[in-house]
Amino acid sequence: MNQVMTNKDFEAKQLTSSIAMIVLLVSFTMLFATMLLGFSVYRLTVDVWPPMGMPRIPLTLPMVSTIIIALSSVALVLFESAFNKHNTKAMRVYFALTYLLGLGFMFVQWQLWNSMAAMGLQASGGVFPSLFYALTWTHAAHIVLGLIALLFLLPVSMKGYSMEKVTWVQNVSKFWHFLGVVWLVMFIVMFVF
Amino acid sequence: MAFFEQHIHSEPKTFISKYIFSYDHKVIGKQFLWYGIIGLGLGGMMALMIRWTLAFPGEAFPILGNLLFPSTGGVVPPDTYAMLFTMHGTIMIFYAITPILIGAFGNYLIPLQIGARDMVFPLLNMLSFWIAAASALILVASLCLPLGAAAGGWTSYPTLSTLIGSPGAGQTLWTLALFLLGVSSTMGAVNYITTVIVLRAPGMGYFDMPLSVWGLWLTAILNAIFLPVLGAGLLLLLFDRVFGTTFFLAGAAATTGTGDPILYQHVFWIFGHPEVYILILPAWGIVSDLLSFFARKPAFGAKATALSMTSITILSTIVYGHHMYTTQMSPLLTQTFMTLTMTISIPSAIFFANWLGTIWKGSIKFDTPMIFSLGVVFVFGLGGLTGLYLATVTTDLYLHDTYFVVGHFHYTMAASVLLGGYAAIYFWMPKMFGKFLNEFWGKVHFWITMIGLNGVFMGMMIVGYAGMHRRLYNPFVYEFMERLIPINAFVTYSALLMGLGQIPFVINFVYTIFFKKEKEPVSDNPWNVGTLEWTIPSPAPVYNFKEIPVVKCGPHELGNPNLPEGKDFQYQTEEIVEA
Repeated sequence: MNQVMTNKDFEAKQLTSSIAMIVLLVSFTMLFATMLLGFSVYRLTVDVWPPMGMPRIPLTLPMVSTIIIALSSVALVLFESAFNKHNTKAMRVYFALTYLLGLGFMFVQWQLWNSMAAMGLQASGGVFPSLFYALTWTHAAHIVLGLIALLFLLPVSMKGYSMEKVTWVQNVSKFWHFLGVVWLVMFIVMFVF
Repeated sequence: MAFFEQHIHSEPKTFISKYIFSYDHKVIGKQFLWYGIIGLGLGGMMALMIRWTLAFPGEAFPILGNLLFPSTGGVVPPDTYAMLFTMHGTIMIFYAITPILIGAFGNYLIPLQIGARDMVFPLLNMLSFWIAAASALILVASLCLPLGAAAGGWTSYPTLSTLIGSPGAGQTLWTLALFLLGVSSTMGAVNYITTVIVLRAPGMGYFDMPLSVWGLWLTAILNAIFLPVLGAGLLLLLFDRVFGTTFFLAGAAATTGTGDPILYQHVFWIFGHPEVYILILPAWGIVSDLLSFFARKPAFGAKATALSMTSITILSTIVYGHHMYTTQMSPLLTQTFMTLTMTISIPSAIFFANWLGTIWKGSIKFDTPMIFSLGVVFVFGLGGLTGLYLATVTTDLYLHDTYFVVGHFHYTMAASVLLGGYAAIYFWMPKMFGKFLNEFWGKVHFWITMIGLNGVFMGMMIVGYAGMHRRLYNPFVYEFMERLIPINAFVTYSALLMGLGQIPFVINFVYTIFFKKEKEPVSDNPWNVGTLEWTIPSPAPVYNFKEIPVVKCGPHELGNPNLPEGKDFQYQTEEIVEA
């Protein structure tokens, strides 16, 4: 693998990894879709929502999460375009920004769980809180995965553009944007309605 | 088609890199083969214990009984019985059939048959095996727990599988093991799908792929889409058991707001019905190829076979409701699901007819792989036809949860997939290990297995039709069942026969691999067929193909009358001979 990549090799590598990434994202989509299906079944079959006099979860914290994760996606897009323009300095800035926003998202999730506990919503307190905890846990676990994946871009943003790393950047950002979209859907389905 | 050419890897030197943490798809395939055969043995022993209990209630299980159940004097106790059929189902489906057909032959065949040097992600492939191994370890370890392993049936329906139904850690470990296995299979699926798309040899269109690769590829697609659905269900079940969430607890057990056990059934069968086809599609593909190879004729309607497998794949995703007719589903829905389910018989009939068309007027060579393939045609025909009764709402309401269902799904899943797997083992043995399995003992193995399994599964359908319920420890406490004891004894003797019939295979297999010395090395192409894996030496070298082959014709170019004297097949790398 020491020889310089030819254009054909590069295209092949890009195609291969994007097919694999798409298959993987379809898999993850099905995981979240199933959970949201479960959520919808409960949501649609219950007489009153929230059920049994449970408190409604205030929109503030989920809204903050949504804004943060949207911003981090934007920062990652800027990182990608800086990468393609070989602008190492901007790459470092946007990488740091993306990562901090990712950590910020986790922090707000933590606050959300704390606030839910403070409202008396325990994971074991019936199906209503169970749904919120389980879905946010699963999503948060994926965010942790995403944060680990982002770390693989750290050497890239130190060294700057290289053709070998293009697929890395594309795949990690696909995964990160995917998590953002999933959160947006969860936010609308679970918190707004 | 061949978007790039993989480099030739150097041969691994150390024992560990060669046999344990190997990146080579052929070694990983063999690892999965051993893994699956061990699972088959374990699941088979459990089946015999279940059968013994049903035929001779209250009698000690011979030989092993006193060792395993000392407290009852060798009799299988009721709670252990529930554990046994749960683990039997789980092991057979996820730890025997899946690794043999998808793990072993998927890994082994896909790169060889499409003319690639390895899978596109070898590291992912290796991880996939070792995660599967970890998962098996967790499952088997759960057998040693004080409260025993999972006992809620292989479907693990709540509320049997919640903390209230099964308080022990066994069920938790079961859920964890299956989740891990799902991760492993998804990794495999990503690998298989990508490999088939990007690494086909130059000139090989999708319809030039052998049907085995078609079957495995469609399986991988189903795996990638539907395993995560089970994953979600298992995750929620795990949360219920570990963190006390209440998704699947209904009524008094859930203190505020109620969960819904039926939701798990929906999720389980959205995965579970495609899973049936995940298991069987590889066997169908392999059998379609083998029938053509041994009838020395081009596969009849190969394109139609591939397309009907594809349409079955698509249809299998929207028929899950037929598993749930008895869950108070709306009659409108049951009618819909019945119609959709019946629709699957159309593509099934097409490729079944294609199988018959393939062997019609062929010059059939009855080698062991061929008789196993013909066995698949027979048992799958029976299994498919009995499926119609279960797809029909009216008959299903009566037959639901009886041994008729058990007989039906054993015919389709156990019998035909198992025979397909054996056919593949006998057929690809020379390519995998450079040696032939003994033909005589192969045929003995086939006939004993065939007689045994028909005795077992036909008998099951008969007792099921008479109303014997599955999952009961001793159904004969009900008076109307008592007359079924003799036929249950017959089923058990058949099962023992079938179990004994596997001994020649195991001895044959182990002896061939480790002790047999071939008088002269096996030729590159002992079966005289044209697919790509037979153009390279047997056993296949580490890098598979020194030169990536260029494909010029389909995989079944047999018996072309224009071929020169003494030759009746063409390699896929050869131009079709025209008159």
